[in-house]
Amino acid sequence: MQRLITKQDLVNKLTELLKDFEVVGPKELSNKGIFYQVIEDAKELYLGQDFAIEPIKKFFLEPSSWILRHAKDDVSLESFPQSDKKRIVIGARPCEAKGLALLDKLFDSEYKDDFYINNRKRTIVVGLACAKPDMSCFCTSMQGSPAETSGMDALIFESGDGFIIELVTDKAKHILGSIGEDIKEDQKLNKDKMKALVKKVIKTPESLDKVFESDYWDEVSRPCISCGVCTFLCPTCHCFDLVDEEKKRMRCYDGCSFPDFTLEASGVNPRPTKKERYRQRVFHKFDYFKKNFGENLCVGCGRCIRHCPVKIDIADIVDKAPI
Amino acid sequence: MKNIYLPHIAEIVDVKQETSDIKTFTLRFKDKAVGKAFTYKPGQFVEFSIFGEGESPFCISNSPTRDSIECSVKKMGKVTQVLHEMDIGDEVGIRGPYGNGFPLDELKGKNLLFVAGGIGLAPLRSLINYCFDNRKDYKTITIVNGARTSKDLVYKDEYKTWEKAKDAHLHLTVDCQEDNWTCMVGVVPKILEEIKPTCKDSIAIVCGPPIMIKFTLPVLMRLGFCPESILTTLEMKMKCGLGKCGRCNIGNLYICKDGPVFSYAQLNGMNYDH
Amino acid sequence: MIDQIKTKAKELLKTKKVDIVIGYKKASDRIGAIPAFIDKEGDIDKLIWDGYCVYNLSNYLKDFPGKKIGIVTKGCDAKSMTVLLQENQLKREDIFIIGIECSGIVDEKRKGGDIAYDERCKGCKPATPPIYDVLIKEEEKKQAPRLEQDPYESVRKLETKSIEEKFKFWQDEFSRCIRCYACRQICPLCYCPRCVAEQTQPAWFSKAVSVEGNFSWNVNRAMHLAGRCIDCGECERACPAGIPLRDINKKIEKDVKELFSYEAGVDTEQKPLFSSFDKNDPEDFIK
Repeated sequence: MQRLITKQDLVNKLTELLKDFEVVGPKELSNKGIFYQVIEDAKELYLGQDFAIEPIKKFFLEPSSWILRHAKDDVSLESFPQSDKKRIVIGARPCEAKGLALLDKLFDSEYKDDFYINNRKRTIVVGLACAKPDMSCFCTSMQGSPAETSGMDALIFESGDGFIIELVTDKAKHILGSIGEDIKEDQKLNKDKMKALVKKVIKTPESLDKVFESDYWDEVSRPCISCGVCTFLCPTCHCFDLVDEEKKRMRCYDGCSFPDFTLEASGVNPRPTKKERYRQRVFHKFDYFKKNFGENLCVGCGRCIRHCPVKIDIADIVDKAPI
Repeated sequence: MKNIYLPHIAEIVDVKQETSDIKTFTLRFKDKAVGKAFTYKPGQFVEFSIFGEGESPFCISNSPTRDSIECSVKKMGKVTQVLHEMDIGDEVGIRGPYGNGFPLDELKGKNLLFVAGGIGLAPLRSLINYCFDNRKDYKTITIVNGARTSKDLVYKDEYKTWEKAKDAHLHLTVDCQEDNWTCMVGVVPKILEEIKPTCKDSIAIVCGPPIMIKFTLPVLMRLGFCPESILTTLEMKMKCGLGKCGRCNIGNLYICKDGPVFSYAQLNGMNYDH
Repeated sequence: MIDQIKTKAKELLKTKKVDIVIGYKKASDRIGAIPAFIDKEGDIDKLIWDGYCVYNLSNYLKDFPGKKIGIVTKGCDAKSMTVLLQENQLKREDIFIIGIECSGIVDEKRKGGDIAYDERCKGCKPATPPIYDVLIKEEEKKQAPRLEQDPYESVRKLETKSIEEKFKFWQDEFSRCIRCYACRQICPLCYCPRCVAEQTQPAWFSKAVSVEGNFSWNVNRAMHLAGRCIDCGECERACPAGIPLRDINKKIEKDVKELFSYEAGVDTEQKPLFSSFDKNDPEDFIK
């Protein structure tokens, strides 16, 4: 279901929703870039085409969050209370929303992680289609597109002075179905055409098994400085640590690029050098996750390429892997 | 909301010093209902919480056929150091059990060869006692247990029972000859070559330090064991125990969730870092 | 200029004077640069030199223990090597410094794609490395006119703020810190085998992405570089959150200069600030 809405329609609707919902969207901070933040006034929203530095993931799997504490009796332990406030995320990109769909596969299966699930359940995700993918974007190689709706409840497209909104889920139809006007057939967007906007195209092998032992990983990981930029800014990287601080237990981001990630108390580290660590990142994304869940754990958002302090390009590395 | 990371409180009801740096803790859940609902298989593990310090995974070292829950802990890092200072009456957090455990059905009707080194006996002890408690389900039970010195041997009290059991053989060994030592001398793989246990209708279950496993596997192969009939239980740094936190994988499998028990055949077909 | 770099690199590898040459090559985007590690003569043609060669390559010296290394070195990068030498982290005979008389690097974060000299280059006075084994100069006078600018302009501006204003300013800036430790990892002088941030017995500060945790981390990082930081500006460039880390570093640099007349990275014979003392120190802790 697609509808035509004006910018004012959107601002008015969000202003109305602000009464009952927490609204999260992109804000432009001068000289710093775009950041997803809680919005207090619909006018603060940035709905331009520049990408946020961090993905929307941080509102579902927080960089750090308390999960346990001592109960009042000081003996038993209890969960940290979680917010059940309804929330609307606006302006997340199709790649980031697809990242959520991939995280769902992990956190909403087998041992279900209710912290993540609660954040998903209380949130409506309204995406913004990409009109200007940049040279790091490669979503179409990851079964995505600038107008993909996976992981979303609704998607808006820039169209002239206003937007076209596509309502995907009933949740979105219920809350946003009343704004704007019906769209005429000839105004409907050709979503397939948008795929051509993405210029970076790579091939991903079905399995990387054969190149595990290759010196290639040594070579491509050499520039890596073992920081956490790629993992923390990745919409799908989900590795975490559990840390106790002052009678509380916290879950916080961790990543395979850090030597400490797998360093055992005995001093043994099964991934002692950048080679093993970088290979783990590539294999987790383009081999292991695919074996376990049928898809690459990558959405082609390009963040790890765009923000890598030394310009390591994972897409190029996978594309050129000596299979 | 169900919190999969929430431990239950358990009380330490007994502490036994096994070696200079290994203690066995016996635990009882504070909440009786939790204790009743807690069932496990040999080879499974639990996450121990020392609240304020953190969590560490330990295998349950006694058999589910016995009453209590026991875990043997080697003093290593932050959590284990604090744990070693704890005593009867102190409380810890426990969540689990996690992992696949040993494939009990596959072991039925077989000769079992247990090969352990140092604290590697802990997960095997759970299975060994399970087998003795269900004696009719298994054929000959052979246990090869080694340690650097006799002081490093764990569960010494139980050796007599194992030795005396029908159709059971216990081979104890230390790396170098010591005064008053009457059992075997030499590293575990060497002892295996000496005693030549039968591979016919047999399954070998191996656990110990990586170096022991490395040299034991080829010996077992030479003795005629096929990779499918060699089981081992692996260890790696773990945090969540649930296959979510992402650190304990070998290939696409997580030791915490898909292991810790793997067959040598399984490991052979996988790419792993160490 | 690039030809001179290649010729030297070739000679070094051919004569086995070095095992590896660290330089720059084109990144996958065909615009930027990525660190290059050349150990075969055949790969020498990959080397490039242009304004996109932003990285301080001395950060990679620790990755090749026991090897002889040839390294393409800008003025600021050479200063960090000077500190590494002072602190006995390097043996001078293990490195061959291909010094570059740098004319400034590109500010890649600036929007619009115009090539502007990076903010950090503006206060850089000697573009010539303080130490080198061979110096390669810009052929043409491409050198950007260096403005006689106060290197502490931005620090002075912050200094005029009240304590509350300063706190608010840094709280806002640090609130975006995601604790990715890119600032530490990119820094050639952050070489502690086990960083204070990773220590758990005891844990010195919170791992939580919070005011307290983020303040502790960022201030600790800067303090550990007091009298050592040579202002290559890599931490600020690497920071994905756009935190003005150079302002903290520069403030400490300024204090060190004013209090001890000490400048880091200019002289290998100079004793590191924190391992030297002066009998005439006005404080009495020394006596």
